[in-house]
Amino acid sequence: MPTFFLHIRNGLGFIEDEEGCELPDPEAARLQAVKGARSIISEEALGGEIDLSGSIEVADQAGRVVMTVSYAEAVRVRDARPPPR
Amino acid sequence: VIEKLLMKMRARDEIDAAEARVLAELVLDTQEFAADANVVRAEVELSTSNLLLEGMMCRYKDVANGERQIMELHVPGDFVDLHSFILKRLDHNVMALVPSRIAFVPHERLADVTRAHPHLARTLWFSTLLDAAIHRESMVSLGRRTALARIAHLLCELYVRLDIVGLTDGASYKLPLTQGDLAECLGLTSVHVNRTLKELREGGIASFQGGTVTIDDRAALERVAEFNPSYLYLERRRR
Repeated sequence: MPTFFLHIRNGLGFIEDEEGCELPDPEAARLQAVKGARSIISEEALGGEIDLSGSIEVADQAGRVVMTVSYAEAVRVRDARPPPR
Repeated sequence: VIEKLLMKMRARDEIDAAEARVLAELVLDTQEFAADANVVRAEVELSTSNLLLEGMMCRYKDVANGERQIMELHVPGDFVDLHSFILKRLDHNVMALVPSRIAFVPHERLADVTRAHPHLARTLWFSTLLDAAIHRESMVSLGRRTALARIAHLLCELYVRLDIVGLTDGASYKLPLTQGDLAECLGLTSVHVNRTLKELREGGIASFQGGTVTIDDRAALERVAEFNPSYLYLERRRR
């Protein structure tokens, strides 16, 4: 199975995935990226503020970025009304 | 063969030389398991228990969506499925995470020990109570701790458990796991683990790289984790 690297790019900078994970295909890597983004967002939600400006870059073994999954596309935001004052 | 088991027991109990011989005679055989090999499958009838001599193992359950929850990591000296002596089957799987060496202990021999050596029976009982205490602490982590505190707590706990069996080196220890394995222990994803490890690293608190954990600031790590080793029952006393 090919190895994919899921790097994080967010407001704090770039966090390299040095380890990578073996996944059957790019679609499986995309799902891992989506799950990762959701996991991070869900914890931010517990703290009362979510930042959807980050993204996860999926790179192949050669270091080429094969896709980018933004946090914003990892979740569907149904109600974007401003919070009550 | 049972040197690490004795180190673990003697950190909490008084085991004399005669009792140590009885424990050594429990072992029927040893076997090597490859990484990712299942050592015990859930729901299978069992007549031996496994003692981990070298390597690292875990108990886990698979979830229908393909994810896995690791309930406990096991280090050398852990009598991993002593539980099956009484339970006769396990409700979960036990797997070697890295190449591991295991000693098989037949249940009949354990039964003989409980008849002839009441203190050793209590010591073995203690071992399963300790697993329960570790599971309770893990429930607190999964239910109430942030990702940062979960990782910090696990790193603190493993330091203590590995130190007891002589497997730490100063402020470091070998943790031959992937970020994905850690995610399965902590109810996170490998991406989330990676991000959280960076926080610990950049805070100068601890790092996990290339299979080695290095604790740079133990006090800070314990503070982040709210780590209190009381649940590991480190008092050496006659049980």
